[in-house]
Amino acid sequence: MTDTTDAIPPGWSYNPASWSQRLPIVGMAIVGFAIAMYLGLFQLKVVPTVWEPFFGNGSQKILTSPTSQLLPVPDAILGAFGYFMDAVAGIVGGKRRWRTMPWIVVLFGVFVGPLGMISVLLVVLQPVLYDAWCTLCLVTAAISVIMIGPAMDEMLASLQYMKRAKDANISLWKVFWGYKEVQGKVI
Amino acid sequence: MWAQVINALLGIWLTASPAILGIEDKTISNNAHIVGPVVASFAIIAWWEATRVVRLYNIPLGFWLLLAPWVLGYDQMSVIINDMVIGAAIVWLSFVKGNIEGTYGGGWSAIWKKDALHTIEARRTPRV
Repeated sequence: MTDTTDAIPPGWSYNPASWSQRLPIVGMAIVGFAIAMYLGLFQLKVVPTVWEPFFGNGSQKILTSPTSQLLPVPDAILGAFGYFMDAVAGIVGGKRRWRTMPWIVVLFGVFVGPLGMISVLLVVLQPVLYDAWCTLCLVTAAISVIMIGPAMDEMLASLQYMKRAKDANISLWKVFWGYKEVQGKVI
Repeated sequence: MWAQVINALLGIWLTASPAILGIEDKTISNNAHIVGPVVASFAIIAWWEATRVVRLYNIPLGFWLLLAPWVLGYDQMSVIINDMVIGAAIVWLSFVKGNIEGTYGGGWSAIWKKDALHTIEARRTPRV
């Protein structure tokens, strides 16, 4: 078998863990991180004003709202941390990671999925609670939602791999954490 | 995929419609502001073939838009028409699966089903 074909999961037409599949997601996460960091620095009063081209003082209203201060850390800083984790979990591991390290693939899916859902929730809260919109918050929410689809295919490949391992009575624990001794027992 | 692109735009339109149609009523605008972003998000997730199935989550939301004017008691004709037309379009477009060109080892149900595509293919493939 050649180097590339054995990285394609059985029954798949492509490898969802290839770099061409993962790097665009990582790139989006980095853009999301940069925007969220900027918004977070405004919330921490490091940056005096916030860029808002469409909705007047909307961004200011949203970013200083009670919701944004529910937790001890401003919500955009938490968002920036989330994007950072997305990027890290997207980078770690080679193009066979769907079977060599399912834990990072599942973690990647868990970071990208719920983070995107929280972004949508925050979008809903803007008009419902505060009658305002925040342009850059909408941009980051769009980024998080766009990331979900392309991240999930890789998780699907990992979960299918774990199903095959389970059917072959191999310890799911060892498979999940990518123990050397179980590598290659199922493909 | 085009159907889910339109559904995403409909979700965005629904979100913006209270401002565009000049709706003062908080119940009507809240409904649009809650359902709109969720519809757009599900539609966007469904742009990719591996997660195309997520489009089906928009079916109940579309039906809700058909019912909402009557359940929540809308009194503006323009809004009733807006919500119902968008709702009907979302239901219809959510059923449109579109082309699936790739194969995905049998998809999400293959995680629990026996003898799914990935299992069969793995059996046929020689050990590395």
